[in-house]
Amino acid sequence: MEDALSLLLLPFAASVAFVLIHAYFGVHVLRRNIVFADLALAQLSALGATVAFAGGYAPTSPAGFGYALLFTAVGAALLTFSRGVARFVSREAFVGILYVVATAATVLVIDRSPQGAEHVKRILIGSILTVGTADVAKFIALYAAIGALHWFLRRPLLAISSESQPQGRTTLAIQVWDFVFFLSFGVVVTSSVTTAGVLLVFSFLIVPAVIGTIFSRKVHVVLVIAWGAGILASVAGFAGSYVLDLPTGATMVAAFAMVLVLAGLAKALIFVEAARRSANRRIAGRIVIASTLILILASSLWLIINPAADQPLVAAFEAATGLGPAHFLKASDRDIYESAGRDMLRFQGEVDRLNAREKAARYEGAPLADDEIRRIASYQQSFNEMTRGEQYVQDVLRGKARERERWAVGLPAAIIATVGLGLMWGQRRLSERRR
Amino acid sequence: MRAGLFGLVLAAMVAVVAAAPALAVVRVVATTTDMAALVAAVGGDLVSVETLIPPATDPEAFEPRPGDLDRVRHANLLVRVGLGYDFWLDPLIHRVGDKRLMRGGTAYLDASAGVPLLEIRGQSVVSEGGHAHGVANPHYWLDPENAAIVTAGIVEALARFAPAERDRFVANRERFLAQLDARLQRWRESLAPFAGVKFIAYHNSWPYFARRFRLDVIDFVEPRPGVAPSPAHLAHLIAQGRKAQVRAIVHEPYEPDDQSRLLAEKLGVPFVRLATSVGSLPHTEDYFALFEFNAAMLARVLGTPRQ
Repeated sequence: MEDALSLLLLPFAASVAFVLIHAYFGVHVLRRNIVFADLALAQLSALGATVAFAGGYAPTSPAGFGYALLFTAVGAALLTFSRGVARFVSREAFVGILYVVATAATVLVIDRSPQGAEHVKRILIGSILTVGTADVAKFIALYAAIGALHWFLRRPLLAISSESQPQGRTTLAIQVWDFVFFLSFGVVVTSSVTTAGVLLVFSFLIVPAVIGTIFSRKVHVVLVIAWGAGILASVAGFAGSYVLDLPTGATMVAAFAMVLVLAGLAKALIFVEAARRSANRRIAGRIVIASTLILILASSLWLIINPAADQPLVAAFEAATGLGPAHFLKASDRDIYESAGRDMLRFQGEVDRLNAREKAARYEGAPLADDEIRRIASYQQSFNEMTRGEQYVQDVLRGKARERERWAVGLPAAIIATVGLGLMWGQRRLSERRR
Repeated sequence: MRAGLFGLVLAAMVAVVAAAPALAVVRVVATTTDMAALVAAVGGDLVSVETLIPPATDPEAFEPRPGDLDRVRHANLLVRVGLGYDFWLDPLIHRVGDKRLMRGGTAYLDASAGVPLLEIRGQSVVSEGGHAHGVANPHYWLDPENAAIVTAGIVEALARFAPAERDRFVANRERFLAQLDARLQRWRESLAPFAGVKFIAYHNSWPYFARRFRLDVIDFVEPRPGVAPSPAHLAHLIAQGRKAQVRAIVHEPYEPDDQSRLLAEKLGVPFVRLATSVGSLPHTEDYFALFEFNAAMLARVLGTPRQ
């Protein structure tokens, strides 16, 4: 536990820094309606870093950073130019093309530089778990500087982001402000993508800003809510990743999505005027009941039509209640089913035991001769085959059990679900007529 | 003008053909640099070897190019690692559609045949040969002694195409194995003081290497290929590494190294990048150099006292 806390402290500090700056840029990006600009900029900076890498510079060297910054500036210029393009095609299309071309170019450059694959992988997945103290300090300093810059320039920058054709400003002024915005955005994304990875940076950027926008139109309120939600989601992500033993980046993305869903529900069910509130709650209740009934109906019909196929809902029900297929078998079949399960465990245990024995002999006692190793391998293969045999027995018996469940469980469930849906339909007709 | 250019091209082509050696060169295509190195050791100047996967790229993420289709089509012999390591070769072979190059064909060699395999897994691939072949850990070339088995297969396969040269292949192989044996003796001696020393590796690439040099790789940073470790797993590795007195973190050439470096830092042990394949790191240009490098790196890292 102590190890875990010391492991998670720095990543959490980094993710708070990321949330603070990215949620702010997210508000801008949502207003500009170009949510994928960050991916395009991040990929261009990755391309720059890759070109530097191919040229023999380490990604963390000044030259590596210089290349990344140069390519990011080119990206910022291209995105600035996209305001002009918007007259002909959607900006999102332009941004998307920029992204895929930059990604493909990275792959092509990597192909000519050995040991570059590692570099691309790192950018895609990131590794927020291994961020260092110096990195966090660097992020805080950089984001403070950019935050201060944006505070001083908040009026023109917000005006430019909020309107597609800002009044009272020359085209040149608009372009300069756009470039300043995209360049600072690019620097932020360049710094965060190598640590957090593309997926997580996108979540930091968009999800908190969306949550804020659900609740308010005022920029400062949106920002405060976004920051709170982002930090909350980060805590949930780290905790979930530790407790459930899951990769941190992907778990955090899931946590951000979950906080977004909860925020949406909270808005619809709690933070609305009283009249809408009760109506919304009724609608939500109906949706939950109806979708459950439809799921049960579909699953029971599938059980009736094809009992031998995969039955995800039935399997989940069996796992949750402990009412496995064994309960639907004759006593003799049940014995076979259960002993097959026991044998599978036993055979796998044998395979593991042989692996452990071979592994220990690598460095302890007398080494095993090649023929001994071959013998172990062939035992393991036999045990694996036998496990597969028992698996087959279980599959056949499960099919048999499902054949019975088809009418004993499937039919009643289908009838109950149909009746339930019918009642809901009838009640709705009734209340409509009353109105 | 055009006629002049055509004449020039023609002259160049004639020059190339004339310059080609008169020897019956066997065109071999190997999936990895390791197989290519072993083929070159046996074939000498009687073979020309091409490799499909460039060194130091992740073999599981390899994407064949159109040129590879051409290389496979014109190969006199195709040598693969097998065991699912170079699974992407199968669609390539089927695209070419030449019986000769398919499993069981005269120009096909699965180099894993006959190798004593470690860590047999649950799933099996049923081959046309009629014997079910469990999927084992595929990094068998990292045990120098397996080179004897692999090169025996290569001699047979080359001799199928150039029977007249069989004796030369056999002689080359014997010379190579004699040199390898002498070197293996030295490598083992240099690593003998570290028998039983415990490591954590990034990937499960080292069972054959560990068996030959008597090392103990207790766990892996990446629990499943391509999935980043969870904080719980890292915490577990730190606790386990302390308890087992792990002496170094071993890392593969083409994987991001943040997690391994973090772990090394937390445990206060060295981080060492070892070569999994010929050419995957500088100074690993052939099969000898691969082990020369790995043995030297390990001896150097373990020779320094624990911090």
